[in-house]
This record gives sequence, structure tokens and C-alpha cells, in this order.
Amino acid sequence: MTRLGLVFLGMVLLFLYTPILVLMAMGFNASPLYELPFEFSTRWYSDLMGNESLLTAGFNSIVLALITSVLATAIGTLAALALSRRHFRGRSLLQLLLLPPIAIPWLITGTAMLIFFFWTGIGRGMHALVIGHVALAVPYVVLVVGTGLQTVRADLEEAAMSLGSTPIHAFFAITLPLLFPSILGAALFAFAVSLDQFVVSYFLSSPGYVTLPVQIYSAIRKGFTPEINAISTLLLLGSMTVILIFARFARPGAPK
Amino acid sequence: MANFTRRDTMRMLTAALAAGAAGSFPARAQGGKITVLNWQGYGTDEAWALEAFMAATGIEVVHDYFSSEAETLTKLRTNPGAYDVVLLNSARVSTAASEGLIAPADLSKVPNAANISPDLLANPNFSIDGQGYAVPWVWGMTSIAVREGIAKPASYKDLASEAYAGRFAMNDDAMIAVALGALTTGQDLNDPADMEAVKEALKALKPNVKMLWSSEDQWNKSFAAGEFDVSIFWSGGSVRSRRNANLPVDFVVPAEGAVVWVDGLAMAAGAPNPDGAAAFINWMIDPAFYVEWATKVGAPASANAQALAGLPADDLSAQVHKAEFMVSKNVMSAMPDERREAFNAAWQEVKAFYAE
Amino acid sequence: MALRGPVGPRRLPDWMATTALLLPAYAWLTLAVFLPLLTMFVFSFLNKTPMGQAPVEFTLRHYRAFIDQPYLLGVAWNTLMMGVWTTLICAVLGFLAALALVRCSFGRSREMLLVLILLPFWTNGLVRVFSWTMVLRENGFLDSLWHLVGDGSVGFLYSRPAIILGLVHGYLPYMILTCYIALVTIDDAVIEAAQSLGARWWTVLGSILIPLALPGLISGAVLTFVPVIGSFMEPRILGGPVGMTLGTVIEDQFTQAFNWPLGASLSFTLLAVVLAIFATFSGVLRRGTAGAS
Repeated sequence: MTRLGLVFLGMVLLFLYTPILVLMAMGFNASPLYELPFEFSTRWYSDLMGNESLLTAGFNSIVLALITSVLATAIGTLAALALSRRHFRGRSLLQLLLLPPIAIPWLITGTAMLIFFFWTGIGRGMHALVIGHVALAVPYVVLVVGTGLQTVRADLEEAAMSLGSTPIHAFFAITLPLLFPSILGAALFAFAVSLDQFVVSYFLSSPGYVTLPVQIYSAIRKGFTPEINAISTLLLLGSMTVILIFARFARPGAPK
Repeated sequence: MANFTRRDTMRMLTAALAAGAAGSFPARAQGGKITVLNWQGYGTDEAWALEAFMAATGIEVVHDYFSSEAETLTKLRTNPGAYDVVLLNSARVSTAASEGLIAPADLSKVPNAANISPDLLANPNFSIDGQGYAVPWVWGMTSIAVREGIAKPASYKDLASEAYAGRFAMNDDAMIAVALGALTTGQDLNDPADMEAVKEALKALKPNVKMLWSSEDQWNKSFAAGEFDVSIFWSGGSVRSRRNANLPVDFVVPAEGAVVWVDGLAMAAGAPNPDGAAAFINWMIDPAFYVEWATKVGAPASANAQALAGLPADDLSAQVHKAEFMVSKNVMSAMPDERREAFNAAWQEVKAFYAE
Repeated sequence: MALRGPVGPRRLPDWMATTALLLPAYAWLTLAVFLPLLTMFVFSFLNKTPMGQAPVEFTLRHYRAFIDQPYLLGVAWNTLMMGVWTTLICAVLGFLAALALVRCSFGRSREMLLVLILLPFWTNGLVRVFSWTMVLRENGFLDSLWHLVGDGSVGFLYSRPAIILGLVHGYLPYMILTCYIALVTIDDAVIEAAQSLGARWWTVLGSILIPLALPGLISGAVLTFVPVIGSFMEPRILGGPVGMTLGTVIEDQFTQAFNWPLGASLSFTLLAVVLAIFATFSGVLRRGTAGAS
């Protein structure tokens, strides 16, 4: 059974990584049009080093994704606690209200934000991007943390509280450690939502503050070159390292 | 932030070097900054041109990009006072002007406008009540691109031929699609009387349509991968594909003629730096800039007759953009919203038919 | 808000605590999403995009699009099917993968695997989808592999299966993650007890594992189905001529046709369909919630 499961996991990973491997390989292919046969070249990496607009955009994307991840995880977790632990009228409505940001194509949300931010004087730029990205990531956080909360038994908290601990203390002593994997998953999610978000960013970025997907998206007429593959590869390897270091040193709730 | 400072320093160094080399330019030390709104990679953001412009005038050029023409107007409306120069298809100039998004063109500050072909300058699409609102910059065509060694279609009707089964790529653009259907059926491309015939002509292409492309980049990559042989494509794009990407592609204008478009440069209403904007527009229609752009990169045809004359006769841009193709009845013009909506609905219906 | 919450030794009144927990998220969503969308909702009743100087009128015309343009019904059906297939495939693969993670891996290797599953998200979606075209096209990577054993081409770029493949790839990690979170707390003892009592594997699967994973399957299905039926990038790039979906129609209204009212009315119709589907399945949803607690 165990072997069968691992073989299946291996196949799923192969499927998930097929385009990623192609992406990485094509970053080392000489043709700017991604033509085959494969011809090895490090040209795109050296071009990338001289491409300040792409590097700046990549840097902006990471900073924005970090800010989004922290803010969205914080306020989303609070909302998830209320939605799955407390009973009050209007709960189902509030849960349904999480769907529009996911259900309505980002193109429309983005256009709507642009108009609304213009009318209210919020304008465009980094602050507008933070507002928009956090809003898009919050529903994901609530859903992921909410799923986790359903499997953390509420009676443990009740028990702690009946033994005299305050709700806040019970939360930090019991719920948070049990919930940690979900919260971490939600944070990674929010990070990814922000990092890959291009439609909303496209409308809210200003000429002076551009993110990587926006840079790629506006380049579609001019053409994206394998420099994009190079920077994607570096980003991927960078985040892999960070996550692995993180997983190495901070592993609360690691099962068994 | 250190990045910006370093980049600025670099730019000033380059500018200083270029200024030494370019003594012949009329040096008007204006300084300041202008913001240009255009497609990415469409002439105005060529690094060499901006360096030379900076060296000559001291003006720094910043870009913001759009990815569709409709969006140009949205960006102008929601960012008043942010832009100085904006690129507009002639078909969109009257909308922008009537909404007060662009300022009347002051040709006295654009000396090179004197050389613009009179036909284009007088084109009604660029003016309202005789007042011009944009300076014609370049014109180009949308017609057929064929892979070398494949039979060239003599008429748009041939695109439905079995010879191209599964080897044809169409431009996913409602205005272009309907215009092509109109040309195929011998109608006015700006106002086809028989829309049913247009739709039928487009639907007849179904067995041949392999893909729908929406950006030049996508076109290049798919063509390079051999996904199709015949396509609706842009004239300037075909030059860039052949010259810069070495793709074996020829641009063909069949008997019915091409869909012609004219792009103009306009000054945004409330431009923070109107003099800088005028200077930049003048720079862009200067023969010196155009010849370098057309021969180094690949460009549509300049509206400036002198600039066109400056191209070497064997240049690919010159060969593709023959003056005889510039037929005024084939130029895409301004149209009422209802008709634009009808064009969109027709193309949508055809695409739904392809997807069945 | 009236409250029926459990009574415990709390310092704050219940309703205040609930409000304090909810306020940041919903205030943020109101400012950044609901108010802008409300504006857009008003726009959907206008006869034209209200950004020019010409006067606008109120009309219900755009909500009649499915009647006036009947071919849109076919497009809507294809879109719905695309959503159903993608969600089903994701659910089966995601559940099994999460199960394999929980049952067959431990400690650090499990964390490694989980990280590896989530990492593809860290790459740009456009580039990821473009990479698929290189795999799937004729004489692409898939064909190169195939040519080791056979002739001809097995590439299927520009087809519906290609779109589904791209979408499954994009959303499978969501499903794995949500199922994993739901399954990770299962006590091995429960399964062993069931087996020692003679339960066969399908009984264990049907009466223990699937009910336990249900909250995860449901959130995963929401996170997959909802964005998939609004997607436009994957269908456009991988579908070619068959890639027309409601998402691409809506996108066209905003980027090409500049018909915001029509684009907005189509997306609110889409949202209504999504909400109707969730209302229909809310019974299942409630049972799922009950089964887990």
C-alpha cells in the first residue's frame, strides 16, 4: 500500500512539474522564440542581470507578496475563527460574501477597483496594490484556515476554558499550535495569489511601481523572452530554499 | 530605491556621451520629464531614441503601456494630468477629442509636420470641425502573411480553400475580422451593409482555423513552432518577424486590398509638459528617427513623406508598405458605438461557431 | 447580531468579540471589493460604458444577452462542463494525493512533499501555461517522448482536453492542500480499529476517509470550480479556436469591445449561477461540516 501511494504521489509530482521543468530548461535555450531543437545558452541569465526593469519588478513582486501574505493571513484567520467557532445570525451570508472576490473574474474586479479608487482619490501605486491584493487573498485564507479549524476539536478549547483559562489564552495555548499548519498553508497561498496576480495589479500599478507579472503582461506585444524563464527559475529556487530553511527550523505541530 | 538612482546616473552618463556625438541636433535645453502612453515596443520606447532625445533636449521620457486600444481611453480618463503624449489609432481620435481627453494639435511647435503627406494630415479621422487633434505618425496594414514555399492566396476567398486545411491563423480582433469579411464579400469595411454575408465568409474558414492569435509575440512563437502557414497579420509585424527573428514569412496583399490603419500621436489634455510633448512628437516624425527605427527594428510606414523617401529602396519596410496599398476607402475610421457593438457581436458569434 | 453562542467565562460580550474578529476582514473587503463591485453592478444596467460625456440611460438590455444571442447558451454550457470536469478530476486526484501524503509519508519527508506540491504556484501563470503549449503541440516535448515508441503525433494542443489539462494543473495544488488539512488529523487507530473489525478497504474509504475529507473536498471544489468557470487565459492559449468560454467573452467586453455594461452583466449572471449551484449543494455542505466535527 505504502509503495503504491508513493508511486501515485510521484506521478502527481511529475504532472505538476512537467511545465516547470520545461520552463527551467527553456531558460537555457538560445532561441528567443523558444524554438527547438534545444541549444544550450546562458545568454538569458546574463541578459537578466542587465535588465533592471525586470529585476526591480521582481523585487517589487516579492515585497508586495510578503506584505499581502502577512496582512491577509492575520485578518483572514480572525474572520475564520469567528465564522467557524461562533454562531450568529447572518453567518451564512457572510460566508457567501467570500465568493464574489473569487467568482468574479479578476478583470472585472480590477476594472472596478480602478474606477472606485480613482473616484475616491485612493489612486494607483503600491498602496492601491496592497489594498487590492489583500482583499483578493483574504477569502482564500478564510477558506483554508476554516477547513483546518473544522478538524481542530472545539471541545479542547472548551475544556481549557472550563479549567479557567481565558478565551485568548485558550486560543494561544490550544488552538493556535494545532492550527499552525493551516495558517502556514494559508500564508503560502496568499503569497502565491499575490505573486501570480497580474490582472488587478495591471490596473492598479502606476508607471513608477510595476510588478513582475505586469511587466510580463505588458510585454506580450513586444514579446517575452526566456529572461522571464530565467527570473522564474531563480524565484522558484529562491523560495524553495527559504521554505526548506523555514521547514528545517520552525516545525511546530509536525506530526509524529 | 538605489536602483533608480543608479539607473538615473547611467542614463545621464549615456546622455552626456550621446550629446557629445550628436552635435548636429537642434539643442533646446528644456529639461524636465514627459510621460508617454503607448503599446510596449512600438517605437516611442526604443532606448537609443530616448537617449538621443534626452541628449538633444534634456527631457527624460517615462512610459506607461496599454494592452488594448479601449484601455488607452480608460487610462486617459482615470489619470488626468498624468500623461503628455499618447498614441491613438485614427479610428479612436474623435472619441478622445470629443471627450476632452486630448488637446488640439499645435502644428507650429511640430516643424516636421510640414512634411506629412497632405492626404494623411487632412484625414477627417484626425480632426473635428477642421481642428486637428493628433499628428499622423505611421500607417500600416493588416492582411495576409504566408510561410515561404506555401502557395500565396490571390484573394481572401482563397483562405477558405482546402489547401490550407488546419494551417490558418486568424487575428482575434472583432474590428479586423469583420473588416476582412467585408473585403471578402466586396463591402465597405467600415460599414458593411450585409453583416450576414460577412459572418458566412468568416464561418467558411472554420476547417482551416488552427488558432486565434492576439499578440505579435504569440504569433511569432507559434509560427516559429510551425503551427500554421497562412495567417492574418500586421505589415510591420511581418517585417520584424523576418528581420529580427529570421522567420521565413512574406506579407501578401490580395486583390481586395488590405485593412489600413493610421496611428497618430496626440498631446493629452492637461499635459504637465506641453512643450516637451510637442518636442517629442516632432522627434518621432523626424526622418532621422524613422529611418533608424525602420531599418534597425522594423516599423510601419511613416506618415512623413520625407522620412519614407529616406528609406533605402531595398529595405523590407519600404517593400512591404507600397504606397499603392494606402487606399483611403480601406482606412479604419471612427464609428458610432452601436456599430462597434454590432461588429463585436458578429465576431463573437463566429467564434462561438468555431468553438462548437 | 443576536447570539446563541456557548456561554463561557468571557470578558467581552459575545457579539463584541465576534464583531472584532470579523471587522478587519469585512471592512477591508468592503473597501476594496464590495464597493467597487457595487459600482460595477450599477454600470451593468447602463446602456453604455459611463466614461464618455454622452448621456447614459438605464436599461435591462444586457441581462437579455442570453436571449438575444442564443449561441451564448452553448458557450455557457461548455464553460460549465469545463468547470465540472476540472473540479471532478482535481477532486479525485487531489483526494488520493492527500491520502497518500497522510498515509505513506512521515515527518520531514512529508513536509518536503507538501512544499514541492505547492511550489509550482510560485511561477508566473502565463509562462506556466505557455510551457504547456510547448509540451502539447505537434512535434513538442510530448511527441518527442512518443516518437521513442510510436509514429505520428499524440499532441493535442488547441482542444478541450488541453484546456482541462492546463486548468487541472493550475488548481490541483489547492485541492491537495485543502484535502490534506482535512485528512491530517485522522487518527490511525480509527482506521486500524475499523480494519480489525473486518471492514474492507472500500468501507474504510466510504465511511471513514471520504466523510472526514469532505470539508477539504468542498473548500477545494469551491476554490477550483469558481475561478475555473471565469478563467480566460488557459482557454485562450491552450484552446485556440475551441477556447471560447464565458471568461473570454467577458474579457473581450472589457479589453476589446469597451462594453463594460455587457461584461459586468455577464459576470453578475455568472456569479448568480455560482451562488445558485452553491445554494443547491449547501445541504451537502452542511452535512460535510457536521461529519467533521
